[in-house]
Amino acid sequence: MAVQNEIPIVYTIRGCDSCTKLLKKWDAEGIPYDERRVELSQATLDEARQYGRLVPIVVWPDGQVEQGFEDSFGCMI
Amino acid sequence: METVTTVVSSARFEQGLGYGDFLADAAVNRDKFEQNYENPVLTEEDRLFFRRVSELAEGPRRLLAIAEPWCGDVYRELPTAVHIAECAGMELRVFLRDDNPDIMDEFLSNNGKSRAIPVFAFYTADTRYIAHFTERSASAHAGLALAMDEARAQLGLPASASFGNLPSSERQVFFHEVVSRIEPHTEQWRRDAVKEIRQLLATALNLSDAA
Repeated sequence: MAVQNEIPIVYTIRGCDSCTKLLKKWDAEGIPYDERRVELSQATLDEARQYGRLVPIVVWPDGQVEQGFEDSFGCMI
Repeated sequence: METVTTVVSSARFEQGLGYGDFLADAAVNRDKFEQNYENPVLTEEDRLFFRRVSELAEGPRRLLAIAEPWCGDVYRELPTAVHIAECAGMELRVFLRDDNPDIMDEFLSNNGKSRAIPVFAFYTADTRYIAHFTERSASAHAGLALAMDEARAQLGLPASASFGNLPSSERQVFFHEVVSRIEPHTEQWRRDAVKEIRQLLATALNLSDAA
């Protein structure tokens, strides 16, 4: 998958505790990010599913992908 | 006598969405809801059970579902609740979790720490609580725990390894190992959820068994 992003893309869901924790951490650390809410459109959800199933899904500028944050196994998308 | 208070009054229940409206408003996963509705897991015996209990004087006539369309457990299980309501003539109302935190707070799981969905709560015709089911079957929870144990063994990880304490690269591999182990069982877990709902209702209604 070709990724062209200068800052991390993070796929989130409203009401997702793990997503909120991650973004709070990044906000506190001053890390810029491109948040994409998967519950708002099928296109964004399908885009996120290319990378993983467990939100938050982070796509780093170097293409590395991470799923989840801290110790959770909640709803998968 | 203990006084039980709830925000789920008859008037509030009636404010919930019908399933058709929930689906029409869903921005995502409509295809998955439709696929699971078209692939019901209720047997004829299940349908007879739900019809029978709904006809009891204090039986379930109203079914409240807490849901969000993006959630995998919801698009797998909510169509089952729709079939239960349809076959037994129950009134189904769907409440979006994140728009209704006061209702969600009445059904927290994991010792009050988790807002797991779906929740299916059964009520009498005058909206007195009977029983509720949360998220997924006990067999699914057990299967998930087993899948995690097997994945740890496969990857040579310690028993203490979890999503939270593994380095990022190992966490992704661990996650994929777990998912590959649980996906073959999801249909069985949907069927197990029906059995569990039957048992919950049978216990709450003091029936001798869930048959």
